[in-house]
Amino acid sequence: MTGRIAKKRGEWINRDKPLTFEYEGQVVNGYEGDTISSALWAAGIRVLGRSFKYHRARGLLSFANHDVNALMTDGEDTNIRADVWPVSQGMALSAVNTDGGVVKDRNKYIDKLSPFLPVGFYYKTFYKPKSLFPFWEDKIRKAAGLGKVNFNYPRILKPKRYAHCDVLIVGAGASGLSAAVAAAKQGLNVILVDENKQAGGSLTYDFAGDQTTADTLNNLLDEVTSNANIRLITGAYAGGYYTDHLVPIVGVDGITKVRAKTVIVASGVFEQPPVFRYNDLPGVMLGSATQRLINRYAVKPFQKGVVVTANDHGYRTALDMAAVGIEVVAVIDMRRDGAKRDLAEKVTEKGIAVHKGSCIYEVVPASNKMAVKEVVVCHYNEDTAEADPRSAVRLSCDGVAMSAGWAPAAALLYQAGTKMRFDYDVQQFVPDQLPEGVFAAGKVNGVFDLKARLLDGQRAAVEASNYLGNASELITVTNPEMASPSHPYPIVNHPKGKNFVDFDEDIQVKDFINAAKEGFDNIELMKRFTTVGMGPSQGKHSNMNAIRILARIRQLPVEKIGTTTARPFFHPTPIGHLGGRSFHPHRYTAMHQWHVDNGGVMMEAGVWMRPAYYVPAGSHLSASDAVQEEAMAVRQSVGMIDGSTLGKIEVFGQDAAAFLERFYTGKFAGQKVGGSRIAMLLDEAGVMVDDGVAVRMAEDKFYVSTNSSNAATVYREMQRNIQLWGMQVTLVNLTGAMAAMTVAGPASRSVVETLIDIDVSAQGLPDGAYKEGQVAGIDARVMRVSFVSDLAFEIHVPYKAGMHVWQALMAAGKQVGIRAFGTDAQRLLRLEMGHHLVSHDTDGLTNPFEAHSESLVAMDKDFFIGQRSLKIIEKKPLNKKLVTFVLDNGFTGELPKECNLVIENGDIKGRVTSISHSNYLNRIIGFAFVSPEQSKSGSRFQVRTDSGAMVPATVTQAPFFHLLESKGA
Amino acid sequence: MQDVVLKSPVAFAQASKKPVNGQVNGMEIALSFADASVEAAHSETLGICDVSNLSRFGVKGPHAADWLTASNITLPAGTNRWTKLDSGSLVMRLGNTEFLLEDQPENGLCQTLSEANVNESGVHKVIRNDAAFIVSGELTPALFSEVCAIDLNGDALEDNRLVMTVIAGVSATMLKQELNGQSVYRIWCDGTYGPYMWKTLLGIIEELGGGPVGFNFYYKIN
Repeated sequence: MTGRIAKKRGEWINRDKPLTFEYEGQVVNGYEGDTISSALWAAGIRVLGRSFKYHRARGLLSFANHDVNALMTDGEDTNIRADVWPVSQGMALSAVNTDGGVVKDRNKYIDKLSPFLPVGFYYKTFYKPKSLFPFWEDKIRKAAGLGKVNFNYPRILKPKRYAHCDVLIVGAGASGLSAAVAAAKQGLNVILVDENKQAGGSLTYDFAGDQTTADTLNNLLDEVTSNANIRLITGAYAGGYYTDHLVPIVGVDGITKVRAKTVIVASGVFEQPPVFRYNDLPGVMLGSATQRLINRYAVKPFQKGVVVTANDHGYRTALDMAAVGIEVVAVIDMRRDGAKRDLAEKVTEKGIAVHKGSCIYEVVPASNKMAVKEVVVCHYNEDTAEADPRSAVRLSCDGVAMSAGWAPAAALLYQAGTKMRFDYDVQQFVPDQLPEGVFAAGKVNGVFDLKARLLDGQRAAVEASNYLGNASELITVTNPEMASPSHPYPIVNHPKGKNFVDFDEDIQVKDFINAAKEGFDNIELMKRFTTVGMGPSQGKHSNMNAIRILARIRQLPVEKIGTTTARPFFHPTPIGHLGGRSFHPHRYTAMHQWHVDNGGVMMEAGVWMRPAYYVPAGSHLSASDAVQEEAMAVRQSVGMIDGSTLGKIEVFGQDAAAFLERFYTGKFAGQKVGGSRIAMLLDEAGVMVDDGVAVRMAEDKFYVSTNSSNAATVYREMQRNIQLWGMQVTLVNLTGAMAAMTVAGPASRSVVETLIDIDVSAQGLPDGAYKEGQVAGIDARVMRVSFVSDLAFEIHVPYKAGMHVWQALMAAGKQVGIRAFGTDAQRLLRLEMGHHLVSHDTDGLTNPFEAHSESLVAMDKDFFIGQRSLKIIEKKPLNKKLVTFVLDNGFTGELPKECNLVIENGDIKGRVTSISHSNYLNRIIGFAFVSPEQSKSGSRFQVRTDSGAMVPATVTQAPFFHLLESKGA
Repeated sequence: MQDVVLKSPVAFAQASKKPVNGQVNGMEIALSFADASVEAAHSETLGICDVSNLSRFGVKGPHAADWLTASNITLPAGTNRWTKLDSGSLVMRLGNTEFLLEDQPENGLCQTLSEANVNESGVHKVIRNDAAFIVSGELTPALFSEVCAIDLNGDALEDNRLVMTVIAGVSATMLKQELNGQSVYRIWCDGTYGPYMWKTLLGIIEELGGGPVGFNFYYKIN
């Protein structure tokens, strides 16, 4: 551990717990609390990764969760951010995006080709000839990229939690901590979140050689941790801002969705690099990165370094470096006038030379191109951004700390709808107009002085408290006079380039100039052409410089260039986190266990679990055979299906009949008690959305069924319209409260009769009739509904008795061979009967006239939903008609599928909506949309199969049972 | 129907836990899942109990409140509130015109009301099929933070309020009551969602160190 320094107050490592791990096959020592990068750096390892495009060696840059050139793979995990991820015993790490290891990466030759690979080269190069594109795509994908996706990654449940608070404070730096304490004192319930594993922000590392701010931090932390109103969450970031102050907090173990009454954004700033040639070499890093290394992890960033700065922060960095014995060769200040006097004196008192009005013209790499050998310092013209090579001086060093300014971490503010303005005093975008309930504090608010930041936090807390109804005295914060913390243009032009602006994507200054020349001179266009800000760090260290460069190219003020859109998530978030624990509610009928026990092959039908068909234990039936056998049982004897999933709604009240007349297309006012009618529902556009059966149980009471998947929708629409129409109607949704089963087939009556206490003879209960009685001792609602068979009994009983009645009926039917049938057989049976299914045989455009449902529409009523549209539609010619068809007798070719097209003279005329072979009929039958001209019985049309074969079909009448007699179409 | 033993809508989801089942109120229910001490620990940490077998009665309609009052039922103070009768039965007002009553095992109020004739318009009995649960323990906030978006640390359930919310994606009614000296949450949802709800909640409960609790833990049925 060559780079480790003596124990420091407040360091984040635990020296009592040493550990070892591997990096690229090399054994490395570290301590608990180290990040991967800090442990590697302490061990003298400088090359932590290869760049995305040119495969240049890279080391530390930000050391703040945005070092995207230092991503690691550890077993099944990849793209691990080494700068923040804690190292652990036994890790076996390797850098991503290398071929042959990070040091000997075979793809490093691409750097030499860089003059031929400017931004956008792939847009213009590889698209011709088209046949070669897959070849090039493969090469490019292999050469450029991040970690390899592990398709065998285990599914690890990451819970998504909810949390609530009065104030959510994003950022636990000086202003955030101060805001939390002040808000809690106001009696508010506070959640304080910070992405670092410890709270404190810059109070934990920016000391300028003097750790007095640590006392400030300790005092604040004591207040925070001792206050029961404050919940401090560290190691988690606020991923985005959503309406009504919903902020997802992303931690290692999952996402917490915080619903706050107010939000204070105290998220701070990102340090921005100055741009000069070879500013990307391992050993060149941001000033704040050196401070974090030194003061959090007790690691020397280098032995002999220089500081290049365009603000006062560089001087603070130099003092921190000097305090731990690093030889600071010089502070190179790009500003003509340098720093304020007292700060400059502190630096010079340490024996550090200060070069004002100077820049690093270029960094000279060591012979292996993987380290710093020296820097070339030149006079710098701030107005032209040009260095004067004639004044070049070479300074030998092994590292460079660079500070040029800051960009606000304002993503959440943007997402909340904050109007920002560019403040020239701080050379930074700051909030100008905040949305209601959102407040900003600290550096993100343009306040940099520590005392002012502490006060700004209190101000924000008071304003948040007042927003919630308190009436505390407002606090005014005055920014003390100070040099701008950010430089307006910290760029050094160089004829040979390699002065990187975006380290994620290897974008240099010349790339922006070329993009602008090609016309991509709007910030959004430039972003997409150059890909600046589109890498994993999402422009946190590049967007501001890109804006400044574009502003200078276009000779516009920065605020005229604007910023790109800040979308959630603020930081790349694992898909496993976003998916989280999945909630997929399923509904189970009362007879579910019976289905499972008797070979039911269960499938999801909307939210319901239903048996598609049954393969009883010991049987080797194929799915198709099972379905045909079940259907045959219904045709020849008796079968029973679990129909509990049907929507079941009771409609009560003096206006019940009048309500149904308005709601459905048919007439119900004159319906007899004990009778049923088809209830077809349209939407306002006249499109069929549901059909069911309405039974009149009493003068003021109906029992209405809906399609299984529509129960909730129909019930909701009913509720809405009752309110809208002001009718005296009460609804009860019994969908889940009633089990239902249909006993169907020629022997069904004999089975039902054995268990029922009412007359269900043809006279006692004719088709369409309804009665109440007891089945197997259970109060039941019984109706004759001929959906799957001419003779069928639909029996509804309370859910809790469903299994009992089902089992009793199965037992009663045993001697006549009763068979349970599933949804697949049900579809075949209703097809044989010629009954279409709404939403299966119809679509989101089908009206009743197209689906031979005119008889269900009482156009002479005063009103029903969709009537106005139908009045318009009925005056126009139809475009399509739903017909029943049969394929030719003995057809053995490729069976058309649902959605295969009906083609006539090369034009699309319709499509197949249902098709199936019927063993009972020994024919292939179906539903199809065809042109109206093709819809007459006996008309022929052609269906094109998946392979392109044309299959002739004949329109025929339904039910299809006449085919048994005619043996033809 | 008297001779028919019915099953809790949650029954098949509980089978893998091999509970000791028994009949209460004409319904087969899980009486216990483990030793009393284990269930007591679950109840203290985080436990879930299926009480779907408790008798319930639903009534709805513009005159439902008057009808209940005439039947000597004390009604909650307002909508989305509940009250407990001297007999222990809960009376929940689910909306302006809708009520749900639930008995203790020994009570017969719901049965009496179910059998009562309704001779006036504007009063409609509602057939119920609820999966009903008791959730208890010190880790209930952790459980609900995963499955429910409302703030249960606030006053949402205080002062005999009940909430109709979504739990694990399912519409549910929830309240907090004292039961055997313990503060517990009550949850009702459509019985067809019962197995899903049980499995989902129990899955999280077990992750958090809790477990299932049998009916006998709360209602000492012999």
